[in-house]
Amino acid sequence: MDVKELYQKYQRVVLGVISLTTLVALWEFTLTYVITYNPFFFTTPSHIGAAAKELLVGDRLWRDLAVSSHAFLWGFSAAVIIGIPIGAVMGWRRRVEYTLDPFLTGLYASPLVALAPLIILVFGVGLTSKAVLIFLLSVFPFVFNTFSGVKSTDQLLVNVVRSFGGKEWHLYFKVILPSTLPYLVAGARLAIGRGIVGVIVGEFFASSEGIGFAIAQFGDTYRLPEMFVGIIILSLIAVALTEALRKLELIIAPYRADMESR
Amino acid sequence: MVPYIQARNVVLTFRPKNRDPVTALQGLDLEVGHGEFLSLVGPSGCGKSTFLNVLLGLLKPDQGDLQLGGKKITGPGYERAMVFQEFGLLPWRTVLANVELGMELKGMPISIRRQRSGELINLVGLRGFEHHYPHELSGGMKQRVGLARALATDPDVLLMDEPFAALDAQTRDLMQAELLQIWDRTKKTVIFVTHSIEEAAYLSDRVVVITSRPGRAKKVLDIKLPRPRDYEMRLSPEFNDIKANIWHSLKEELVSKGAGDGR
Repeated sequence: MDVKELYQKYQRVVLGVISLTTLVALWEFTLTYVITYNPFFFTTPSHIGAAAKELLVGDRLWRDLAVSSHAFLWGFSAAVIIGIPIGAVMGWRRRVEYTLDPFLTGLYASPLVALAPLIILVFGVGLTSKAVLIFLLSVFPFVFNTFSGVKSTDQLLVNVVRSFGGKEWHLYFKVILPSTLPYLVAGARLAIGRGIVGVIVGEFFASSEGIGFAIAQFGDTYRLPEMFVGIIILSLIAVALTEALRKLELIIAPYRADMESR
Repeated sequence: MVPYIQARNVVLTFRPKNRDPVTALQGLDLEVGHGEFLSLVGPSGCGKSTFLNVLLGLLKPDQGDLQLGGKKITGPGYERAMVFQEFGLLPWRTVLANVELGMELKGMPISIRRQRSGELINLVGLRGFEHHYPHELSGGMKQRVGLARALATDPDVLLMDEPFAALDAQTRDLMQAELLQIWDRTKKTVIFVTHSIEEAAYLSDRVVVITSRPGRAKKVLDIKLPRPRDYEMRLSPEFNDIKANIWHSLKEELVSKGAGDGR
């Protein structure tokens, strides 16, 4: 295999790495040689790297991450467990759809983070408040995506299963669930992003630990390199979760893999 | 003698919300013998597919009597299976799993399922494609899967709803020939809906012309071509006479109703 073929095979990775390193290099170069900057307001990749090294060997960062993931896990699991059934029933029963739709759509469209002070007032400072906020933000993608998935189930396939003597529960598990699965994965992707926003906002408002609190505290004390480390770690986590989801989709729905690549 | 399948005075009206009701079937009478290959032809929207769905048990007629082997049809049953026009394959299942769908719903043990699906995949000429997904198959192959799936539960009656309409002309000819072979080997009763006069004439023992909506059986034609049939027969003068016959009967329907009156 020559270089050209290698490149074509790994084009995506190669170009991605090049664009990222170029950005970082430009950033470093500009701030080092071109303009002088005020370290109170900005920083360079090399400073961030140094801060990262320090934070990664210490245990504060890990403790913060553990605290935040704890809240995320609770809120996100609740969103899955509650959101999917609500969406499924809405998709299957028109009366439920018409009853719930106005209020769910309203909530989905509104900036729920505005409720954060109220939630903290009710549930107090700590894990519960954060979990509730994460739940509120991430439940809607599950509800609405499950709903659309169930709604868009091909009626022909329902008829096929019925015609072969399929019972009601066969319809659920052999047609509706598999055809809704891709919608669930798409919903989960959205929910991850919104859930992370929930973590950060919760910890900005009321917390004395967690990665969101750490970012806010570093910002308040003008420790910009450390603050950037927190932000970068958060985006890495979000990317990792999304990628894991994609892998999971390939495992549970392999037929979608080459359908998408076409 | 009581015919194997008997439909008497079947009436069915669709009542869509916010629209006027449409009477799809109006007093349809039909008798089908055991092991017979019967085609229904008629103008589009005449209710022939509707009638097939009634026979399948997915639609309930408002009136009329439907019997199969002396028993009233009240819903889907294992003695009937449908081959669908748009294939109706589950996209998340491989060829093998699609063929096994009916057997799975019937609760057959996996060892029997595997053996039978293997045989049927061979029968329809899809050996080597067991683990392919439907989107990787051509239209003709998809319908072979549809046919194998319908045969898998070993029904007595195959209901075929314009099964080859979505295929190109050559694939269609090929599938017709293979269907005749399979029919000859398995001795199923086949009720075949088509809008192609040629297809109906070539395949069937009898062709029933259905009136334009509301559908009734207008005319029954015996196709007195010898079996087994081969492609050459399509070029014979007898075959042309049969086609002309069906066509004249159908033309009156098209003219009376105005052609191109969609569903």
